[in-house]
Amino acid sequence: MAKAMQLNTMGRKLLLEKAHVEGIRYYDVYRREGGYRSVEKALKTMTQEEIVEEVKKSGLRGRGGAGFPAGMKWGFIAKPEGVPRHLVCNADESEPGTFKDRYLMEFIPHLLIEGLIVASYALGSNATYIYIRGEYAWIPDILEQAIAEAKANGFLGKNILGTGFDCEIYVQRGAGAYICGEETALIESLEGKRGNPRIKPPFPAIKGVWGRPTVVNNVETLAAVVPIINEGGEEYAKIGVGKSTGTKLISACGNINKPGVYEIDMTISVEEFIYSDEYCGGIPNGKRLKACIPGGSSVPILPANLLLKTAKGETRLMNYESLSDGGFATGSMMGSGGFIVLDEDQCVVRNTYSLARFYRHESCGQCSPCREGTGWMEKVLLRLEKGEGKISDIDLLWDIQSKIEGNTICPLGDAASWPVAAAIRHFRDEFEWHVTHAAEAQTRNYGLAHYADPIHVPV
Amino acid sequence: MVQFSEEKLTKVKEIIARYPDGKQKSALLPLLHLAQDNFGGWLSADTMDYVASLLQIEPIEVYEVATFYSMYNTKPVGKYVFEVCQTGPCMLNGSDNIIAYISQTLGIKVGETTADGLFTLKTAECLGACGYAPMMQLGKHYREHLTKDKVDAIISECRTAAAANN
Repeated sequence: MAKAMQLNTMGRKLLLEKAHVEGIRYYDVYRREGGYRSVEKALKTMTQEEIVEEVKKSGLRGRGGAGFPAGMKWGFIAKPEGVPRHLVCNADESEPGTFKDRYLMEFIPHLLIEGLIVASYALGSNATYIYIRGEYAWIPDILEQAIAEAKANGFLGKNILGTGFDCEIYVQRGAGAYICGEETALIESLEGKRGNPRIKPPFPAIKGVWGRPTVVNNVETLAAVVPIINEGGEEYAKIGVGKSTGTKLISACGNINKPGVYEIDMTISVEEFIYSDEYCGGIPNGKRLKACIPGGSSVPILPANLLLKTAKGETRLMNYESLSDGGFATGSMMGSGGFIVLDEDQCVVRNTYSLARFYRHESCGQCSPCREGTGWMEKVLLRLEKGEGKISDIDLLWDIQSKIEGNTICPLGDAASWPVAAAIRHFRDEFEWHVTHAAEAQTRNYGLAHYADPIHVPV
Repeated sequence: MVQFSEEKLTKVKEIIARYPDGKQKSALLPLLHLAQDNFGGWLSADTMDYVASLLQIEPIEVYEVATFYSMYNTKPVGKYVFEVCQTGPCMLNGSDNIIAYISQTLGIKVGETTADGLFTLKTAECLGACGYAPMMQLGKHYREHLTKDKVDAIISECRTAAAANN
C-alpha cells in the first residue's frame, strides 16, 4: 500500500509544473493556469493561525539549507501590541552549487509573489521585503513587474480582495556578500549596514529588522506555501518520505550531462538522480563518478562508494534523512540542494582549495577563528595543491578546521570547516599523494583510485 | 560635484519611501548601486559623501558599507568589467582556462584595466550560475557556457559598442 502511494506521487511537480507554460512569467497566463487561488483561499476563508497550522502539518522544512521546520519558525514570531512585524524573503542565493531560487524567480516569479502574500497575511506583515543577491541584477525587474501586476489585479496594496489586509512587497538588492544569506546578516544589510551576523538570541522572530519581529524564509520555502494552502498540509506531507515532505528543487552541476534545476519528490535514489535521463543524464564522456557534494559547497563531500550507498549498505536517497545517514563520519547533508558532481579526472585537493578560497573571501571578519582560520586553510591548501606541502600540513589543516567549527557567531565558520574536514576524512591518501608525489601531482590528477570500490559492510 | 538628475532624485525618494520613517539608512545599498551606475562605474569619496548627504547619515557609515560589499568599486574600473566566476563548480568546468585566456587576449592581469580604459578583468566568487559554467558577469547580465570563441565574440561586441558610443 505504502509502495503504491509512493509510485503515485513519483515525479510529482508542485513548484515547476507550470514553469514552462508560455507566458507564465506574466500575470494573465499565471492566473489562467490557476495562480493566486491560494491567496483567495487563505485571505477569505482562513485565519492567520489556521495558515500557520497548515504549514506545520505540511512538515515543510526551510529550503535555504538549514532545514528548520517552517511552520515552527512562523509560530515563534512575537506579537507585541502596536509593533509592526515583517516577512523577509531570503533570495540571497550564494551557496556554491546552488542556483534554484534564481530559476524559480526568473521563470515563474508569480509563484513566489503568491506565496509571499499568503505568508505575509499569516504573519501580519504589511511591508514585506525580498532581499536578492546583487549579482542577480536583472531579476528585480522581473519581480517588480510581477508585483505591479499583482497589485493592479487587487492581490497587493490596500484592502486586498476586500479583506482589509494591506500588503506591499519591496525588492532590495544586496551587493555581493555570501554572508548576507545568513538571516541576521541579511537583516543588518537590509538596514543599510555591513553584513555582520548578530549574536542570537534575540532571534529575529523577537527582534529582527528595525528591532521588530521578523521572519526570514528562503524563496523556495515561500513558494511551497502555495501548494500547501491549495492542497492542504496533510496532502503535501503525503509526498516524500519521513520528515522529508513535499518536493525539493535540486540544482545539479559539475561533471554531468544535463546540469540544471530539477524538482524531485524525495523518494528517488542518488544513483537514479545522477544517471537517469530525466535528471542529470550521467557523466560526460563515459567517465566514472569519483565524488559528490550533494547539498551545496558547505556540506561534506562524499566519495562515490559512500554517496550511492550508506555505510550500512543501503541505497542512499535524495532526502534529508538518507543524505545525512551515518552523520559526518560517512554521510553528508541535503543542505540547499546544490548538487556538485566530480568525475574521475577531478582533483579533490584543488576543489577543496577553491572552496576554501571562497570562504576566506566571504568571511565577514567579525570572529577571529573564521577570519584568520579561513585564510590559513586557503594558504595551506594552495601549498599542497602546488606540490609544496608537507605531510604535517594535512594534520595542520585538520587542526585549523576543528578550531573554527563551533567557535563563531554564525554558521559560516562551520560551513568553511566541513568541506575541508570531509575532504581529509575521505580523501586523505589523495592529499598525501600531493606531498609524496609532488612533481607528478603537477602533471596529472590522482584519479579515481579506490573511491568507487564497494565498502565492506560488517555483519 | 556629483549630483543626481531630477529623475534620479525622484527614484531616490521612491526608494527611501520603502522603509519606515527614520530608517532611511536602509536605502543605502540601493542608492550606492544607483550612484555607481550613474557616476562612472565606481564610488569616489565625493560620490559616497553625496550619498551620505542624501540619507542624512555620516560619510563613514557609507564608507564602511561600500568597502564591505564586493560589487562596489572603490577605484575606477574600465567601461566593461569582466567578472569571471572561479569557485568550485566553475573551476570544475574550466574557469581557470577562461581567466587565463581573457588575461592573455587583453594583455592584463586579474585586477587590471586595459590602457584604453575599456576592459577590467576581475575574478568573482560563486555567482549562482553553477549549471551554466564557466561564466562571468558583464554589467547587468551573465554570460554563460563560456568558450574561447565566446570570449572573443564578447570582446569584439564590447569594442563595437564602445566605438558606436563615441
